[in-house]
Amino acid sequence: MEAPPVTMMPVTGGTINMMEYLLQGSVLDQSLESLLHRLRGLCDNMEPETFLDHEMVFLLKGQQASPFVLRARRSMDKSGMPWHLRYLGQPEIGDKNRHALVRNCVDIATSDNLTDFLVEMGFRMDHEFVAKGHVFRKGIMKIVVYKIFRILMPGNTDSIEPLSLSYLVELNVVAPAGQDIVSDDMRNFAEQLKPLVHLEKIDPKRLM
Amino acid sequence: MREEKQLELTLEALISQVADLKNSLVSFIYKLENEYDRLTWPSVLDSFALLSGQLNTLNKVLKHEKTPLLRNQVIIPLVLSPDRDEEIMRQTEGRVPVFSHEVVPDHLRTKPDPEVEEQEKQLITDAARISPDGAQKQIQSLNKMCSNLLEKISKEERESESGGLRQNKQTFNPTDTNALVAAVAFGKGLSNRRPPGSGGSVQSGQPGAGAIIAGASGMQQVPMSSAPAQQQPMLAGVQMAQAGQPGKMPSGIKTNIKSASMHPYQR
Repeated sequence: MEAPPVTMMPVTGGTINMMEYLLQGSVLDQSLESLLHRLRGLCDNMEPETFLDHEMVFLLKGQQASPFVLRARRSMDKSGMPWHLRYLGQPEIGDKNRHALVRNCVDIATSDNLTDFLVEMGFRMDHEFVAKGHVFRKGIMKIVVYKIFRILMPGNTDSIEPLSLSYLVELNVVAPAGQDIVSDDMRNFAEQLKPLVHLEKIDPKRLM
Repeated sequence: MREEKQLELTLEALISQVADLKNSLVSFIYKLENEYDRLTWPSVLDSFALLSGQLNTLNKVLKHEKTPLLRNQVIIPLVLSPDRDEEIMRQTEGRVPVFSHEVVPDHLRTKPDPEVEEQEKQLITDAARISPDGAQKQIQSLNKMCSNLLEKISKEERESESGGLRQNKQTFNPTDTNALVAAVAFGKGLSNRRPPGSGGSVQSGQPGAGAIIAGASGMQQVPMSSAPAQQQPMLAGVQMAQAGQPGKMPSGIKTNIKSASMHPYQR
């Protein structure tokens, strides 16, 4: 039930297919401050932005083997923000020269009855987590450093515990398909974060 | 005709290079004059490196193959006047107010200072005195000393780096990276650790679907009313042992819509 690869889809007008280019790494809790200092220097000069989000991942099991996955995210600390619904396709198997993980991506802002709607459509929640961290921007690149918390009791976002002693660091860009030069810019930026963090493209299928 | 064009282009390139050089000199002078109490050696080195780089590019422009032989060009002042010239003032940012016979010898000279000329002549005669073999030997010994010094420096750098690394803590843990990526990608380690039998929840708003859910998943013994918001615990996770049931659910719902009395699942 995955959308076919972007290159096969005909151009029928409407919105452009956006791809997400992604590099991931992690940093231990004790080295977080140095990473934040470095990012504050490297990235665009903005007020440091923190976030506390609750993400739920919904699955729709169809006739095919692989279920359809949608991610619903809401902000827990900022009021009045819309919910964020996201579809992420399978990573495109490009050539080795591509330095980042590339996958089809659709982002939609929704009202807050999103979960009711998804359940009505037949989706079931597979897992959920709380993400707490910092966001930085550099041009079109977004760098997110966050800690993942496991939710101990379903529905109760107050009882949470950290999943590990590290923060996840993600560098991502959402751009129209075919702009591979983006991954070069991302790799150059990733070089500047070494040796604090090693940002690389990690194929999730290898970790299953 | 072509040479004129080339000359023009070269002059433009030279003017822009010299302007850059002038700007870096200005900022360096400013730094030295105003920030001398806070100045650090690396900062001074940076300025010097910048100047050296710009001089290098200037040299490259001059040596470029498309550059005509500037040596063959001659600059002659056509008009010299002791009056103030606004145009020249503007172009030189107020430094040269008049294009008169005092200013021209300094600005248009091509010969070096007499002292410099003397020193150059001295060096040339000294160089001519050494025999070619002697010169070769001197060159070789200089090269050897330079390479020895370079080796010593790089060895020192390598040793200190490895010593430093031993003290440096690891700032990231690859195992953690993998665990976190797996958690975000497909929920590894995040599945709600529900003991069997403590039930899932029935969404209160949809009676039809709710009945199917309660009927279908055999392990749900106790239907709990869910929190008023949105959370639905995982009912058909990959880790669950119920093989056939979860897959049937969506089709069950469809069937239900067609015939409300159908109960496709044995209970």
